Amino acid sequence: MALNELNFKYKVENPQSIAKEYSHLGVVGSGDLEVLMEKKDFGGGAEVKVVTPVTGFDKVWEMVVTKFVKGNNLGDLLIEINDNNATPVVVSMRLRQALAEANKIEKGGE
Amino acid sequence: MLSWDELQKAKFTEANARERAFGLVDKGTFTEFVSPRDRMPSPHLPVLGEAIGYDDGVVTGIGLIGKRPVFVVSQEGRFIGGAVGEVHGAKMVQAIKLALKAYEDVKVKYPDSYEERLPAVVISFETGGVRLHESNAGLLAHAEVMDQFQDARGKIPIIAVIGSKIGCFGGMGFVGAATDVIIMSEQGRLGLTGPEVIEQEMGKDEFDASNKALVFRTTGGKHKYIMQDANFLVEDSVAGFYQQLQEVMKLPFAEIEKFRRIGSKKLVEEQLELVKLAVGLGAKDSMDVWKYYGNEDPAKLVDMGPDEFLKVAKRRERKLG
Repeated sequence: MALNELNFKYKVENPQSIAKEYSHLGVVGSGDLEVLMEKKDFGGGAEVKVVTPVTGFDKVWEMVVTKFVKGNNLGDLLIEINDNNATPVVVSMRLRQALAEANKIEKGGE
Repeated sequence: MLSWDELQKAKFTEANARERAFGLVDKGTFTEFVSPRDRMPSPHLPVLGEAIGYDDGVVTGIGLIGKRPVFVVSQEGRFIGGAVGEVHGAKMVQAIKLALKAYEDVKVKYPDSYEERLPAVVISFETGGVRLHESNAGLLAHAEVMDQFQDARGKIPIIAVIGSKIGCFGGMGFVGAATDVIIMSEQGRLGLTGPEVIEQEMGKDEFDASNKALVFRTTGGKHKYIMQDANFLVEDSVAGFYQQLQEVMKLPFAEIEKFRRIGSKKLVEEQLELVKLAVGLGAKDSMDVWKYYGNEDPAKLVDMGPDEFLKVAKRRERKLG
């Protein structure tokens, strides 16, 4: 019954963090999720925490998250996901959007 | 997230809670309280296996409209229907408490010009009321918000902004009605028992919740505007609501207080006359009431755009200033 918490750790070569100190994207609506990205001194590593009501799909989560972190060479970064039954496609899309948001250079007055 | 300028053009119904909070105050002035980075999810949802959100479905913060500090509360309907739980409620209450503290501070710091710097509270409702998973804590939160409203009476204005998909229903319908000013769009809905619940309890003959036209002309902004339940009707854009807020902020507080619908013996009497009318008129549809208030062809009002509607719609006349 309780929520399912998954934790993943990565270490990639030439890691890239994000431009902002932290960034948030998304709403925990049905079939959707929120992503919090925070710059952290992990010695180049990246950590991902997923909180989801879904059970039995840990392997799928790992594949989606691994592809994202390794594909973007992410490091010194904490990613937290609060999920509400999003499909893997939605998760991938939101992660990409979250990364774009986290690297957006702030314009004056925003 | 869209920039402030892009947001102004965006539809209010499509903006999420954070975008609304950000866009309802002057450009670049919004600062969030207890943002997602502070990680304040509900402590009750995990044990039930329900998804959590770091803002617990509500965005609170402070911004400016002109010189006035505006404390914003903005509910997220996509998170459990915007329902109010313990953390969600506590965030609402604290925002109003801070506004009251700011009121005291402003009075001390600017004894001669505090009126133009008077804080205000703006609540963008999108909720079905109590979050049933956290029943007692959710109910208590409603009472505490009402309590803060009472403390704010005669000091700072509390302004309701209703134009999001879920509308403002359940216990929060009472809370919305207890504010000083209500600004709605045609798409905004305000009521106590939601259409689906009425149908479930009383049957399809009483209220057909699948009949969207019926639902909107009974609970929607146009009806509320004619009935004077809503003080202002605006177009469905962030700019529409923001500009109306700017207008309201220009008014002296004594004028703003006149927008209230409840809160004094006289106002209760005015409401009771409406109850009498509802029985006496034997209205079968909100359009019967529109006709009663002088709208010769009420059916025409249904599909009218907001600009034309505001020009031609006749409203109930209020007895009090």
